[in-house]
Amino acid sequence: MHLTKSQIIILIIIAIIAFLLGRLAVRAFFNLLMGGTLFGGNFL
Amino acid sequence: MKRAKKKGGRIMFVFLCILMFLGCFILGASSKVLLKPSWSKEYEVEFTDEIGTLYTDLSYGDKQANKFDMYLPKDNTRRNYGLAVYLHAGGFTSGDKAGDKQMLSWLCSKGYVAVGINYTLFNEENPNANVYTQSLEIKEAIPKVIEEAEKKGYHINEMAIGGGSAGHALAMIYAYRDVDTSPVPVKLLFGAVGPSSFYAEDWDIYGFDKDTKEAKEGASILFGVMGGEKLTLEMMEDGSYLEKVKPISAVMWIDKHTVPSVVAYGKYDKVQPFKGSQRLLKAYKENNIDYQYFECSHSGHGLQNDSKIYKKYMEAVEKYLDKYLPIEE
Repeated sequence: MHLTKSQIIILIIIAIIAFLLGRLAVRAFFNLLMGGTLFGGNFL
Repeated sequence: MKRAKKKGGRIMFVFLCILMFLGCFILGASSKVLLKPSWSKEYEVEFTDEIGTLYTDLSYGDKQANKFDMYLPKDNTRRNYGLAVYLHAGGFTSGDKAGDKQMLSWLCSKGYVAVGINYTLFNEENPNANVYTQSLEIKEAIPKVIEEAEKKGYHINEMAIGGGSAGHALAMIYAYRDVDTSPVPVKLLFGAVGPSSFYAEDWDIYGFDKDTKEAKEGASILFGVMGGEKLTLEMMEDGSYLEKVKPISAVMWIDKHTVPSVVAYGKYDKVQPFKGSQRLLKAYKENNIDYQYFECSHSGHGLQNDSKIYKKYMEAVEKYLDKYLPIEE
């Protein structure tokens, strides 16, 4: 499958967003158990 | 034909996007769980023969849980040794000294006789155990720990005590309430997220700050179970419950002679109230205690969102250990 330049950029953006959302989801889960803010402090 | 091929390519690309999203989402979540800050390795030492000798499950009393682990430093030539006790977390109902092996190994690697002490946990098997009985067990354990170290050729001349959460609460009770009966001088208290007082108005996380019968009943039950005392609604209303919970309220024992203390708390703690830690901070200030107080302003009970502050807390613990419990050459 041949990917165009714009498709590669879209994939990179999706990868970054998904990676950050994954970290954010874990942070939200721990916050639910122990308390804490969704943003601020550590990198996500 | 060309249009169908283009459509197929688009479907493939959407499929690739979904795969990429799922893969990176899992990768991100895993990185959050598995990767620890590089500085934390400094305080998580793996115990080896190069560090010293470990004796596990030494007994200090008749009860099943009355056991301690003793980490003796390799250098046994010194005249005196500082004792560093670290009490485990677990909400007074769970946990084990083995969970603090890395912390105890770190303390031992610094040259201290490091000790983790178990205490009888409040559970179905031990319905009569409570914070007060646990604090008495710790008080009973310290002389036995020092005796055992002596037997093994390590003379203890002073000590520090610390812990996490419930362990921190018990460490504070020993350092502030029982300090005068300690066989050796207590030089330092350190710990994180331990409850230090039981003022109902501070316990807003459980709704005990409300001026309702239900709130007062809830507080009387929880504080009563923790302190091993029967608390009535009248006591909650007239404030006389505070005297009943004094034996487990470390903050009420703070005076001008209280030992230097290093503590850390999470502003959004859901397990023990942050407001209680503000009361502790006030007591340190009013009594001119040499203290370090770290507020993790984005975290809860795990101090999980403020690794930079947690690093500063650990650095302060190390600095205060070096200052108040120096290793004799």
